[in-house]
Amino acid sequence: MASLTDILHNVGQMLTYDPEAPMLFSSGIFWALFLVFMPIYGLLRQRKTQMVVFVVLFSFFFYYKSSGLFVLMLAGTSLTDWLLSRAIARPGQSRAVRRGCVALSLCLSLGILGYFKYANFFLWNFQAMTGGNFQPLDLVLPVGISFYTFQSVSYIVDVYKGRVAPTRTWLEYAFFLSFFPALVAGPIVRADYFLPQIDQNRHASREEIYTGLWLIMLGVIKKAVIADYIAQYNDLIFNSPGAYSGFETLMGIIGYTMQIYCDFSGYSDMAIGIALIMGFRLAQNFNFPYKSQNLTDFWRRWHISLSSWLRDYVYIPLGGNRKGTVRTYVNNFVTMVIGGLWHGAAWKFVFWGAMHGAGLAVHKASRPWLDRVPDNRLTRALWWLTTMVFVSLLWVFFRAASWDDSLEIIRSVGRDFSLTYFPAFASARMLWLVLMFVIIAAHAVPAAFWERVRQLFVRSPWAVKLLLFILTVQLVLELRTADVSPFIYFQF
Amino acid sequence: MRRHYAELWLLLLTSFAVFAVSSAFDMPEIGGRKLKSSGIADALLAQRSDGGRDAVSVAGSLSADTTAAADPSAEPAPCDSLPKTILFIGDSMLEGLGPRMAAYADHNGHTLYEVMWYSSTSEVWGRSDRLAGYIGRIKPDYIFICLGANELFVKDIAEKRTKYVDRILADIDTIPYLWIGPPNWRDDTGINDLIASQTERGCFFLSDGMHFERSKDGAHPTHESAAAWLDSVVRWMPRHAKHPILMETPSVKSSRAKRIFVHQPNEK
Repeated sequence: MASLTDILHNVGQMLTYDPEAPMLFSSGIFWALFLVFMPIYGLLRQRKTQMVVFVVLFSFFFYYKSSGLFVLMLAGTSLTDWLLSRAIARPGQSRAVRRGCVALSLCLSLGILGYFKYANFFLWNFQAMTGGNFQPLDLVLPVGISFYTFQSVSYIVDVYKGRVAPTRTWLEYAFFLSFFPALVAGPIVRADYFLPQIDQNRHASREEIYTGLWLIMLGVIKKAVIADYIAQYNDLIFNSPGAYSGFETLMGIIGYTMQIYCDFSGYSDMAIGIALIMGFRLAQNFNFPYKSQNLTDFWRRWHISLSSWLRDYVYIPLGGNRKGTVRTYVNNFVTMVIGGLWHGAAWKFVFWGAMHGAGLAVHKASRPWLDRVPDNRLTRALWWLTTMVFVSLLWVFFRAASWDDSLEIIRSVGRDFSLTYFPAFASARMLWLVLMFVIIAAHAVPAAFWERVRQLFVRSPWAVKLLLFILTVQLVLELRTADVSPFIYFQF
Repeated sequence: MRRHYAELWLLLLTSFAVFAVSSAFDMPEIGGRKLKSSGIADALLAQRSDGGRDAVSVAGSLSADTTAAADPSAEPAPCDSLPKTILFIGDSMLEGLGPRMAAYADHNGHTLYEVMWYSSTSEVWGRSDRLAGYIGRIKPDYIFICLGANELFVKDIAEKRTKYVDRILADIDTIPYLWIGPPNWRDDTGINDLIASQTERGCFFLSDGMHFERSKDGAHPTHESAAAWLDSVVRWMPRHAKHPILMETPSVKSSRAKRIFVHQPNEK
């Protein structure tokens, strides 16, 4: 029988940083902490200062649970940014000083990101060119650094451009930068959208609170039920390239296409839902991306907070479409390469981004021709299929461990493809197929249907909501693997 | 407005309490299928490890680096160099071990069949007739087992799981076998001791204590690390296994088993 000391020890262990167990929204420990957080937050919501202090402390603890003492770096970054933003916005400040402050802030933010995320990549490439021996630096990537660095950059640039007034206190800025629902895997929050909400000092409405719960449940199902389950099969294919038949490999590729969507959009749903319960609105991050009929449309629906950030802070400053056709394509391409590199320090991400950039350029260039093609079901189906094939093939390079593995997986599809595998596959992996069907069906039904379901949930009696929540959690328990997989986007 | 927060809080609290309390008891069965526990009670009430557990001292067990602990006077068993029909069963750890085992099988003339049952445990295998079914169908003359990773933290494990481990061993009967222990990522509550105590000497490879590079989930060894893990098992076999078989190092890193049977967690 466990003693009180054992229980206290176990609770202490749960609250201590464990590099192998970052705090996930779908974990029991987060749930338990949120139970403590909620009533205090509810009491403080309309007392702005206390609320801000409380949420910042909770966010810092949340980050500590995920990244340990890197929380000090987060605090330091936020303090430096805030001081520089105040200097930038000081009345009568000279243009040179203001620009210097922006440069300093960007150097610090991007320098830290570059050091932790890209140092080994650049050193490895440098050594490969010069022929030396490469000893990688022993670096640990702080969780979510790519997300909060982009938030920090956009804040400083917006303050410089006069689009956003600097926050009055460091706490408000720390609240924005460390807001725990969006801290470790986005969505990337923009200051002009978010900061005014701090001053509104309002409780979430009943509609918002239960829409938040609905989004959390939806996110948990996407991530912990669908993505984690189908990942088991997809991992088999990607871990042993060439070891499976063409049919099985193709299923693995389609599976990963759906997995990464459910994984990341599931996390975003949970983040948006938790923020909504707290009375904060975060922008939509995914809008049924696999409905897209072309690549431009895809990037308007996929990871919207990143693509709009790249548009506003890379593509437009590069000249956007204001400097001629060729330059537009080049700007698009460069933006996508940077977007690819943002995902990870490896050539496969650069290639992935570059191919998307090239695809966007080809789509833009062929628009005059495409506009003349009749718009009917057949052509729409063809454009959709073309887009899906392109996107799915590029996910292979994104997921596979190496360039050779990617090519081997793609070659495997053609080498030994036969539909005769389907009956055996269906019998062995019925649940996998059912879950895949659920995702595809979710894309196929009109968005109005989901809105109607959301309203039904919000208006349902409390006991029905409780029952649905318990069923959702039990479903997660039934289908979970040996351990919960971290979100794919944690690594970015 | 605070009323809505209170309502939601009550909802979350009630459901948390339901899962916490239910995890302290045996979960009910629905349609012949036992519901899974949240494990909240286990996590909270687990007794602190005294750090004194030593599977080496358990009868029949050998540690990962067992050479030092093994009986120096014991003669290694003779290696059976005939080609074998190998059945390799286990949980998702086979994802990593399987391709490397297939490479060994190919290289040494063995025929390998794998049965990977996701999230399976000794209880899951012990309750089902699946192992006996595969043995009857494939007629293996060597069996590898890798089970235990999904029951590292089960409370009162000896009481709960001994009968299932015994049932697995009863199904195996006289067929030579080797049980590869789980790659602990934390101290277990006794699964390694349990398997070690139930298996014959030289039939259990203790993986606890080995260093693994873990995949993103923090539990499964990476592909490379799983291959190195199996290499360690193979290096250990000639001197310490009760039934060593020909396992010369293959020239390729991985291969494919003759047949891989996959079972999902919810399959009966």
